[in-house]
Amino acid sequence: MLCKLALRNVRRQVGNYLIYFMTVSFTVAMLFAVSNIIFSENLKRYTLMENDGKYALMGVVLLISFVVAFVLSYATSFLLKLRKREFGMYLTLGMTRKNILAVFLTENAILGILSLAAGLAVGLFFYQGLMALMMRLLEMQFALAPYTPGGVILTVVMVAGIFLLASVTSALYLKRARIYDLLHTAKHKRDVRHPLLWLLVTLACLAGIISGLWFIGAEAERNVLNGEPFDAVLNAVLVMGLLIILFHIGLARSLIYALLKRKRMCSRGANTFVLRSLSGALGSNSMMLGCLAFLLAFAVVLVNFSFWQKAGQEAELDRSYPYDIWYTGEAYFRTGIPASEAEEIIGAYGEIESRYTYRLYRPKEDVFRQKTRWSDYEGMADTYMKLSDFNRLIEPLGYEEVELMGEYLLVSNIPEAGTEDWAGITLHHRGKSYALKEVRTDYPVFTYQYFYVVAPDEVVEDLEEEMYYTVYSLKEGDLDAAALLEELSYPDPMGDGMVCDYKLREYGRQELHSVNAFLVIAALFAAAVFLFLAMAILALKTLVGLLEDRPGYEILFRLGMGERQQGRTLFRQTFGFFLLPFVMPLLLSIPSAWVILRIARASRMEGLVSRVPVMTGATALVVTLVYLLYYVAVYALAKRAVVCREGRK
Amino acid sequence: MSEILKITNVTKYYGSGSVVTKALDGVSFSVEKGTFTAIMGPSGSGKSTLLNVISTIDRISAGEIYVEGKQISGMKEDALSAFRRDRLGFIFQEYNLLDTLTVEENIVLPLNLRKESLENTRRELMRVAQALEVSEQLKKFPGELSGGQRQRVACARAIITDPALVLADEPTGALDSRNAKALMQTLASMNENQGSTILMVTHDPVAASYGGRVLFLKDGRVFGEVCKGNRGRREMYREILAVTAALGGENDVM
Repeated sequence: MLCKLALRNVRRQVGNYLIYFMTVSFTVAMLFAVSNIIFSENLKRYTLMENDGKYALMGVVLLISFVVAFVLSYATSFLLKLRKREFGMYLTLGMTRKNILAVFLTENAILGILSLAAGLAVGLFFYQGLMALMMRLLEMQFALAPYTPGGVILTVVMVAGIFLLASVTSALYLKRARIYDLLHTAKHKRDVRHPLLWLLVTLACLAGIISGLWFIGAEAERNVLNGEPFDAVLNAVLVMGLLIILFHIGLARSLIYALLKRKRMCSRGANTFVLRSLSGALGSNSMMLGCLAFLLAFAVVLVNFSFWQKAGQEAELDRSYPYDIWYTGEAYFRTGIPASEAEEIIGAYGEIESRYTYRLYRPKEDVFRQKTRWSDYEGMADTYMKLSDFNRLIEPLGYEEVELMGEYLLVSNIPEAGTEDWAGITLHHRGKSYALKEVRTDYPVFTYQYFYVVAPDEVVEDLEEEMYYTVYSLKEGDLDAAALLEELSYPDPMGDGMVCDYKLREYGRQELHSVNAFLVIAALFAAAVFLFLAMAILALKTLVGLLEDRPGYEILFRLGMGERQQGRTLFRQTFGFFLLPFVMPLLLSIPSAWVILRIARASRMEGLVSRVPVMTGATALVVTLVYLLYYVAVYALAKRAVVCREGRK
Repeated sequence: MSEILKITNVTKYYGSGSVVTKALDGVSFSVEKGTFTAIMGPSGSGKSTLLNVISTIDRISAGEIYVEGKQISGMKEDALSAFRRDRLGFIFQEYNLLDTLTVEENIVLPLNLRKESLENTRRELMRVAQALEVSEQLKKFPGELSGGQRQRVACARAIITDPALVLADEPTGALDSRNAKALMQTLASMNENQGSTILMVTHDPVAASYGGRVLFLKDGRVFGEVCKGNRGRREMYREILAVTAALGGENDVM
């Protein structure tokens, strides 16, 4: 009997549960896709960070599942409150709380199973889509990826956990609620208390957010230039999160108050009705709106920064790996595999097209280091490179030949070294003086030194040789970089494990793509789930709130408001509610782009600068499309439920 | 006196196929300007349907309805909305005030809907608030008022646009006898002092006795009519009871 009732209830509540069901199914599909990626054989085969990536994604799945459970508990509890009269009626008719709990949990279980089934069905395609994206990020050929039992089990376990938590929250509410409270709908508070105070809070938060963004931009740039950790930036981001929540709470509680003061505006059409309805809805949901705004902002910023990270690192690839293979050795203490043997190994993997050997030299006195922040760091020393070597290295890479007429060039490999003041240092050699021509930070990396001096050959010749390098260019062709690296490695004479004196561009590229693939997939997954959850909660809240407004629209209809005018009124009411938590997260795309640009410029990633507006614009566009999709669905459902017309009160 | 409302042979069917209900069956009558007409009848007699078709929220199946000489039965949706907004006033059993709006905002809502100027709106608000004695309650919300006060606010809203016809649907239905009496006095005063034409649907003979004329509906047809003329309210009440008893309606015990 109870099962039959639960089944009928689910069928009857289809309208209410539709958006909830759609979102849960979508979340399940995403969970399924990512869980399958975690256990994918392709992951093992094509990525260089098999376990790290697997555990990182697993962590993201757990974290997201926790957030989903929390949000769904909230959604379930207000769907429950929507039907509390019905449950109150069951109690009045003599059903026990246990019976009602059983009905509700059965309903939840039916919904959960249906969502799981639909989610798994959609997830089959999502997985292939995500896998295609992943393989593209890894620059691999896509082939249909097999599904894994591990992925299915992880999804089912996560979904069961999510629904269990959501059901427990609702069960607790049902267990404690009094019959009177269930039968009598609590009236919404019409007036927000202390609107002026909230207005001040809103303005203060807005000021805080603007200054916070300014601080984040400036501090991130300073951190990049000085090579400092981003601690202050991360703390500022956390504070910004809190400010965004508080700003929206304040805005929800004060905006309408401020608008209602404008009598002339209120006296036009149904403006007062819209504002009063919004005032109640925004006031009583201000905390939720604040949290949704935070989730949306997090989604937007996360996607932007993951794309920036990917594009930035790829832009760095050519700088970090200018040649196919790069050997580094100390000039007089060579260990590891002998050069001839190593070249033989390399030759077995790819034909060596050209090679060039160059050296770094050490002066007797460190004049440059003394002028830097590393003056006390004994492990660091001034190093020099011959101008001929330098030109020989940069020319094949498309850089212009450097000419030094009684000058020297300072090349810095890290941004913070580029900010040191070396202008006063003049080199003296055999009666000749050499002044600083310029400090360059944009050349590819040819040494591990923070900085080095490029000087005319005659200045460097007498110095002591310090390091010895060889760069190799290979003929085009597939290179099994992981296997080559393994063959070029040898047991570490100073400790455990293996070491390798060779850096392979192909290996670096694959490693970078692996990291980026995981990063982008994790960010997209988190952002998509947050975005859809936020939209679903917003949609459900809007629809539930509108059920209370139905009599209001009936009155407006009787007072002479036509169907079209009601439609417009409903649009303003629902759009106002929907828009509030969305505007700031969307607008945050602009400061996000600004911060990324500052970091990119400070990091000398000029190639990235032109891509930033495209990346942030695309993110904003996708988020807006999802928003519009949900809004249009909500508006259509609301219009059907609320707007009155002739013959259909 | 000029004719405000004229109903000719109005018929209304509900349902389709084999399950058709005839809610109104050739109803004809007219209402003169400045009169107070009550419509009585047992449950299912077609009272509410009649009010709905006059108020243009439902369409008739046959017949004609004229308000101020204008046929409303053939009007399009937008024209009907404008007609309701400008020419009709409504008072409902459940007050139908918007809980989220203050009393003042509720009363001026019809003027706002037709985008009346702020100055005009204020002037009209003061006029009806004083007439209906709700000036002290303007800043309150409906939830803070008694049933009687709420219904006076509804009356104020109904007449603020100076409508051709005020339609009242069981206005005393949710009130206790004291408040019901006060409301009926208010409606009578609106009719006498403001010149409002009122058409009221009720099943309460006491309320109906405040009208100058009572129409009786049964099974969707006009069954009879009582006019007050120069008689007092008490006599009117007795005659209403007599007709009600003849109708075999819900008040025949009296």
